[in-house]
Amino acid sequence: MNNKKHVFAEDSFFISRRKFMAIGAAFIAVMAIPVGWFASKVAKRNDYIKARSAGLYKDDAIAKLRVSHANPAVEKYYKEFGGQPLGHMSHDLLHTHFVDRTKLNS
Amino acid sequence: MTVTTYQPGEIQGLIEIQASKCKGCDACQKFCPTNAIEGASGAVHSINKEKCLSCGQCLINCPFGAIIETHSALETVIAKLADKDVKVVGIIAPAVRVAIGEEFGLGTGELVTGKLYGAMNKAGFKIFDCNFAADLTIMEEGSEFIHRLHANVKGEADAGALPQFTSCCPGWVRYLETNYPSLLPNLSTAKSPQQMAGTVAKTYGAKVYAMQPENIFTVAVMPCTSKKVEASRPEFNSAWKYNQEQGANVAEYRDVDAVLTTREMAQLLKLLEIDLAKTPEYEGDSLFSEYTGAGTIFGATGGVMEAALRTAHKVLTGDEMAKLEFEPVRGLAGVKAASVTLFDQSLSQDVTVNVAVVHDMGNNVEPILRDIMAGISPYHFIEVMNCAGGCVNGGGQPIDGNGSSWIGNI
Ligand code: SF4
Ligand code: SF4
Ligand code: SF4
Repeated sequence: MNNKKHVFAEDSFFISRRKFMAIGAAFIAVMAIPVGWFASKVAKRNDYIKARSAGLYKDDAIAKLRVSHANPAVEKYYKEFGGQPLGHMSHDLLHTHFVDRTKLNS
Repeated sequence: MTVTTYQPGEIQGLIEIQASKCKGCDACQKFCPTNAIEGASGAVHSINKEKCLSCGQCLINCPFGAIIETHSALETVIAKLADKDVKVVGIIAPAVRVAIGEEFGLGTGELVTGKLYGAMNKAGFKIFDCNFAADLTIMEEGSEFIHRLHANVKGEADAGALPQFTSCCPGWVRYLETNYPSLLPNLSTAKSPQQMAGTVAKTYGAKVYAMQPENIFTVAVMPCTSKKVEASRPEFNSAWKYNQEQGANVAEYRDVDAVLTTREMAQLLKLLEIDLAKTPEYEGDSLFSEYTGAGTIFGATGGVMEAALRTAHKVLTGDEMAKLEFEPVRGLAGVKAASVTLFDQSLSQDVTVNVAVVHDMGNNVEPILRDIMAGISPYHFIEVMNCAGGCVNGGGQPIDGNGSSWIGNI
């Protein structure tokens, strides 16, 4: 298990943050995102996605039960209360309908 | 009357750009799935709320921290926790447990389920793991898929539409409702795990907790800003309707009373001076904290599909899948497709199911939708998640202080 704070590559506008502040607001106002910023942002985002997904896949791997139909609490819910999947109670409580949002008016 | 994309009562304009902080750098536009962000380079930008899905992707990616959420239930939740007559039920989404630790100095992706249960218990919440509701979703959505598949194979007249889309992601649901209403019959009618959890907590849960449903306050803890809008949809008062039919006569209440993002939950714990990193593990306090591995992987792209296939395999063939990890739907490819052939016991024949998994919706879903409308789509079952990577990268997750919003973190 990874107990240290994950430090991903620094993502700056290719200048340090302190220096950036020192340049001042007037410059910021007209500054566009430099070429390459987007790619570096996406690369770092993917590092987060991979690390967090790995945590979920680990949760799955260590789980005592790994298939939804074997969840005893779910079984208990249907037996004591909900009936069965797609049954009358499920229709009322667990299903919904959708809305054509091109036809709404306020 | 003006045309709108909202039903009465729904939260509108959840995500907003603060004009005073926006530098017009265009970064947000690159992450928006619907081109909802208007404004020329260098000028202050603004969000067209009719097009906006409230997914928060612009918010977590603005380098100047200029984008905010306009609705927060934080104070209401704190007040409810202090109210002795109310039972506050915390519904914890899959992707929260691998991200909230970051706000307390723990590693990215570190699994903190036990600590989160412990910290929320200390704050006064009853624990309702949304993973339990994810398992319930698989039972409903999986059964619905098998029903549609069988009806189509048999050529029944009123067989449901295929491909069937998953309906867990409110960003995706609103996208389809707003842009492709002709494809709504393809959406699974199963509620999202959040909404199932809220409904169950105030119906069956009222019996489990031995409480009046109207005294139960449900708080969903989500990696997602769009979940706030979902909870506000006017039709989501099923528990109240059910309980009225059972003879209750009380004022209307919602299935999900409040939604907190992962960030807001961390803020709540900090306000109550609870350090999640130092909290002992806690197991939960009812059957609602029992969940399976299939329920937890909902938080990553491909997870719903993998979980559904595990159950469909058992139902169709009578046997469990030999290897539960289904690699073709894992990973970060924009569209992941796979084909599975199973011996279907009830039809006594082999059935081939073609599945697809789409995430980073704005960049990947259009060709698939066009094929379906042209009648040439090869797929039977399609998972769509708005955010790249799925909910682990949702708009309500902790923001990297080193990259996004780093102006505010110096
Ligand atoms: S990313 Fe932020 S600063 Fe840049 S244009 Fe969008 S709102 Fe403005
Ligand atoms: S919240 Fe999502 S849909 Fe709305 S403007 Fe931001 S990125 Fe676009
Ligand atoms: S992918 Fe998950 S976090 Fe993103 S909008 Fe959909 S439900 Fe929310």
